Amino acid sequence: MKRTILGSVAALALSAGALWAENVAVITPYLAQPGTQAYVEGFQAQAAKSGWTVNVIDTAGDVAAVIARIEDAVTQKVNAIVINVDPAQVAAGLQVAKDAGIPVIGMDAGSDPLLATNVTSNGYAMAAETSVYVANRIGGKGNVVMFVFDAFPPVQARGVIADAVFANHPDIKVLDRVTPDVQDGGIADSRAKMEAILAANPEPGSIAAVWAAWDQPALGALQAIEAAGRQGEGIVITGIDANPQAREAIAAGGNFEASVAQDFAGIGAAAADAAGRVMKGETIKEPVIYVSTVMVTAVNAAQ
Amino acid sequence: MNFRSFSTALRQWGTFLGLLAIVVFFAWRLPETFPTAQNFLNISQQISMLAVAAFTMTIVMVMNDFDLSVGSTASLAGIVAAVLFAAGQPVWVGVTAALAVGVLGGVFNGFLVAYIGILPFIATLGTLTMFSGAAFMISDGKTIFGRDIPTEFAGFARFGIPLDAIGLEGAKLPLMTLAAVVVLLMVWLLLEQTTFGRRLYAIGGNRVAAELAGINTRRLRLMAFGLTGLGAAVAGLMYASRVASANPTQGAGLMLDAIAAVFLGMTMGREGEPRVLATLVGVLILGILDNGLTQMNVDSYVREILIGAIVVSAVAISAFGQRRG
Repeated sequence: MKRTILGSVAALALSAGALWAENVAVITPYLAQPGTQAYVEGFQAQAAKSGWTVNVIDTAGDVAAVIARIEDAVTQKVNAIVINVDPAQVAAGLQVAKDAGIPVIGMDAGSDPLLATNVTSNGYAMAAETSVYVANRIGGKGNVVMFVFDAFPPVQARGVIADAVFANHPDIKVLDRVTPDVQDGGIADSRAKMEAILAANPEPGSIAAVWAAWDQPALGALQAIEAAGRQGEGIVITGIDANPQAREAIAAGGNFEASVAQDFAGIGAAAADAAGRVMKGETIKEPVIYVSTVMVTAVNAAQ
Repeated sequence: MNFRSFSTALRQWGTFLGLLAIVVFFAWRLPETFPTAQNFLNISQQISMLAVAAFTMTIVMVMNDFDLSVGSTASLAGIVAAVLFAAGQPVWVGVTAALAVGVLGGVFNGFLVAYIGILPFIATLGTLTMFSGAAFMISDGKTIFGRDIPTEFAGFARFGIPLDAIGLEGAKLPLMTLAAVVVLLMVWLLLEQTTFGRRLYAIGGNRVAAELAGINTRRLRLMAFGLTGLGAAVAGLMYASRVASANPTQGAGLMLDAIAAVFLGMTMGREGEPRVLATLVGVLILGILDNGLTQMNVDSYVREILIGAIVVSAVAISAFGQRRG
């Protein structure tokens, strides 16, 4: 008898615990990537403050397994699901969650009507930061080489903003709008393209700046300028993303002067805030929530 | 029952008992959510792609061969179909071309193994890289998704046959599950009920003896590899339909899991030979572990270690039993 009472008390405590603690599944195929790890750590830190149980599930690159794990999380009746994967590819799972009334939050996932919201960085804002930096540094005057990639929508958006900023300065001329071949990662071909542009414009001062929509072409352009021995002409280079190689180049104090870093941990924390809001029953109006980015120059590149 | 027959029975049924134990364990720990019709239907759909790859992998493993290239074949098949869809071709053209690529790739493997005489490990390791490279080349390394993938194609993985008639209100038998069942039946008929199948087992038992008995082992091995390639392509198409996209690496995970499933199943064979129904047990073990451990909030990496450990211990127990039995 005593045992049954104890047993039922324990069962009660267990089920009550399950009722009180919010249960959240974070599902991604990309946990091995440094950015994703930072998102997840930011999310966990924020979730720990609220006392949630967080189950981080890495499917090691397998996108179909993300759908399977979303289904399992729905079966398990978690309170919310957070994904870091292209929502279009896991739509089958998102539909299951929607049918079960379980909210799904995107953590830099891309926006989708099946998501409660998506938390990410504002690509337009990042491009505005670096293109305005370029325009200011060259005094609103001179020839600019742009490296863009219009086939990939998030990068295309960056190019549009830089186009507008440079067009707004009557004395800035866009010398070339280059789309590098990115098969090898983008550095090598950008370097080759930049070498050709340098050869075509041999006069010192004929190129005032290189604006790149992401870091790899900026690094390629830097290599080309240094290889041509023209690093002394004051050509200003900017990138976007502030990857470790770019930070190193910026810290070295050469032509590569600035980039913009996404706040990965901040995105994770903001995703946790969003999850908290939807779990309280709020409908988030914005399909995308933007987290501020940080300009990286020689001053803070080493941080 | 004496000790010897008991140990033989335990060896043969051990893996199946393991599966039952896993099911009972999850049903006990997750009484509300695990042993439900909907969850079992979910699992059946989740494992359908692996199941198809593993069932057809069984065909070559019957002859003591194996095929490391099934993952790349699956990726390549998905890419071929998606590239054709993107070029405006109808679904049947993309699907047919993808299946043809699978058969051709498999036959090429069979040719290298049976006619050139390269060990399957090396031959299919080489073609693994070739097919993967081809998938990257055809797709430019990109993921093909969105409007390029026809809704009829992606819809295959979303739809099912309503089960209201048998009392499961609102539940559906997924078409993906149905596809896996059809492949299972076909492979079972082929291996267990035809001369072709019996000859494959004869080759697996003793290739030289099979040859002396007048079996054209080369042609049979070629055909068997072709079928494994076809199955890999089917699995790749199912995967592409499920994620409504194609990526040059997306099938990569299938190969090791398929081989693991066949190995798990082989522990149930009287002589340690692969049987396709036993492969099904292997696939179920892997799929149910994934489903149940996710629901129990077990860390993904712990899950992987556990699955590896189960495969190794099942095979070890079986090997130990066989030596003594």
